[in-house]
Amino acid sequence: GVSGTALQKNVSVGNPTKVELTCKLDDNSKLKNPQVTWKRGNETISHSSKTQNSWTVQLTISDGSQLGSYSCILKGEVEVSATFHLQVPKIDGKERPIITYEGDLAVMVCKTEYAPMAWTWYRTNGTELVAINLSSHTNKFRIKRQSANVNRLEILKLTKKDIGVYWCEAAFRLGSSKRSFELRVLSILAPLKPFIAIVAEVVILVTTIALYEVYSKRKEEEGEREFDQIEQL
Amino acid sequence: MQAKDSNPPDGGYGWVVVVSAFVVMGLTVAVLKTFGLFFVEIQQHFDELASTTSWITSVTIAVFHLGAPLASSLCVQYTHRTVVITGGLLAFSGMALGFFGLNMVWMYATTGFLQGLGISFSWTPAISIVSHYFSKKRALANAIASAGECAFAFTFGPFFQWLISQYGWKGALLIIGGIQLNICVCGALMRPLASSCLEASHCKTETPPGNGVSRRDKEDESPIMHKTFNWMLVRRPEFVLYAIFGTLAAMSFFVPPLFLVPLSYSLGIDESWTASLLSILAMVDFGGRLLCGWYANLHVTKTIHLLAMTITLISTSLMLLPLANNYLSLAIFTGFYGFFFGTTVAIHITVLADVVGMPEFDSALGLFMLIRSTGGFVGPPLAGLIVDVAGDYRAGFYMAGATLVLSAGFLVILDRLQQRKKRGSKIRTKPEKSTLPYPSLHLLKHQ
Repeated sequence: GVSGTALQKNVSVGNPTKVELTCKLDDNSKLKNPQVTWKRGNETISHSSKTQNSWTVQLTISDGSQLGSYSCILKGEVEVSATFHLQVPKIDGKERPIITYEGDLAVMVCKTEYAPMAWTWYRTNGTELVAINLSSHTNKFRIKRQSANVNRLEILKLTKKDIGVYWCEAAFRLGSSKRSFELRVLSILAPLKPFIAIVAEVVILVTTIALYEVYSKRKEEEGEREFDQIEQL
Repeated sequence: MQAKDSNPPDGGYGWVVVVSAFVVMGLTVAVLKTFGLFFVEIQQHFDELASTTSWITSVTIAVFHLGAPLASSLCVQYTHRTVVITGGLLAFSGMALGFFGLNMVWMYATTGFLQGLGISFSWTPAISIVSHYFSKKRALANAIASAGECAFAFTFGPFFQWLISQYGWKGALLIIGGIQLNICVCGALMRPLASSCLEASHCKTETPPGNGVSRRDKEDESPIMHKTFNWMLVRRPEFVLYAIFGTLAAMSFFVPPLFLVPLSYSLGIDESWTASLLSILAMVDFGGRLLCGWYANLHVTKTIHLLAMTITLISTSLMLLPLANNYLSLAIFTGFYGFFFGTTVAIHITVLADVVGMPEFDSALGLFMLIRSTGGFVGPPLAGLIVDVAGDYRAGFYMAGATLVLSAGFLVILDRLQQRKKRGSKIRTKPEKSTLPYPSLHLLKHQ
């Protein structure tokens, strides 16, 4: 539905298909009988059908160049518009850097709304993207296809040399989308330092408390002995 | 003079114990509550299902409840201090070993079982020793100690997130384990009270010469201090009634936090606002606990009446909560629910102590936790079923509210039973005024 300020909507399109975009006016809108134009950039498109309060355009998307932003503009007492962004499905994945340890296993998971034709993984080497070839690194990388639209890269036996940016690419007929992951490899000493500091603090506190209690008990006993001695006198 | 259990200090060193219990609450329950942040990380790393990963927390909670009676019987044999220090070491080992993250079963054993056992051995004695150290100010002391859970949970959310972002989930577990080692420091501070009965293997209270001892005296005194776990508690109707109350209440307690987030999403409220609802819940919970402790300390109302009132207020908030249709109304009702939840938690342990009396308290606490856990296990699945059948999350809140009203009924029955017993014993002791009817005087003779 359209009413008020400019609206946006993302439409994911992976394979060639027919798409129908509809702009519908709310019943309580101020606009009555507006003039409607569908535009893509500066180009005007003719709309396919029209009812009382809705205007539809039908598009046949057969290749990547036909993707982009399509808007419906309603001109009347006020002007409202809504934009549809037709794009290749985006990839969902972890946004924050992936933190692992030397000798450990790193996991990167990419997920899309619709299944792509192919998945490829890359590693950044300087400014270039180098594809990860499983056959040449059999014990280092593992790629698992968890389902058609979820793909998983595992990097084994991590070393500091593995630090860097990795990419997963989902190839659709209409184009491809990519996502990057930053991999950080820490040495085990990194968390060990605060850990040992805390353990040391605990040991110091417990020893202090124990010593204080022994000391105050001894004082109490001395005090009692004096008291008994005074009583005897 | 070292303080005696029969004559608790009601202050002084007791406040040190309260602070250390406050910290133990934080380092146990608050860690458990915030563990959800590790969920997605662990699930992705081991390539497991969400349900399989959630068993980690289920194991922790199960071991926590099953370990409570074991912990309380160990408290009676060894001191509270020893059990808490053991608990601290267990919890620490659970998290620290979790750092090695070999596989999912390893995580069940470490962050599940060891952590649960550690939490159980730390939490149960900490709660118990506060009640031993206080009598008149017990309600206030318990309330302050229980507020530790909220205070720490509030800060652990962002803190754990930061740890995970700096050290990854494995490193974060190691550091949290170290932090939990501070439970041992708290345990070291929990000086045992010298009870004249704890030194000897058993103690007998003298009965006055002749058969002037009334039947009421025989019931009130426990002639032998129980060194081992006391299963006889299940014979006492007051305990049974309170345990049923606890079970029904537990059935309802886990439901609102579970369904608040989905209900919020279904109303169209987005993620960050929903997260703020949980923060509101934690803050008013904290406030409720302290306020209830202060009020109970005034001794204006009987604790069991106060508990019945708070339960009724929670169930009212829960029944009204489904009426919310936007963020503001949901936030207000959540605030009321959180506040009264805090008041209930603050007072319910004190009521247990009042119901069973201090000699039996340790065993009662453990047994109560064990029985109550059944409610905690049945509640969420049952609520889930009701929500699925009704097709609406609001049904879960109605169920929780109704269960609480039912539990309040048992409190009322318990109160009537206690009043009837008191009235009955008052009639009996009238001719006995010449002899010594008070058990505490017998204990004093032993010193």
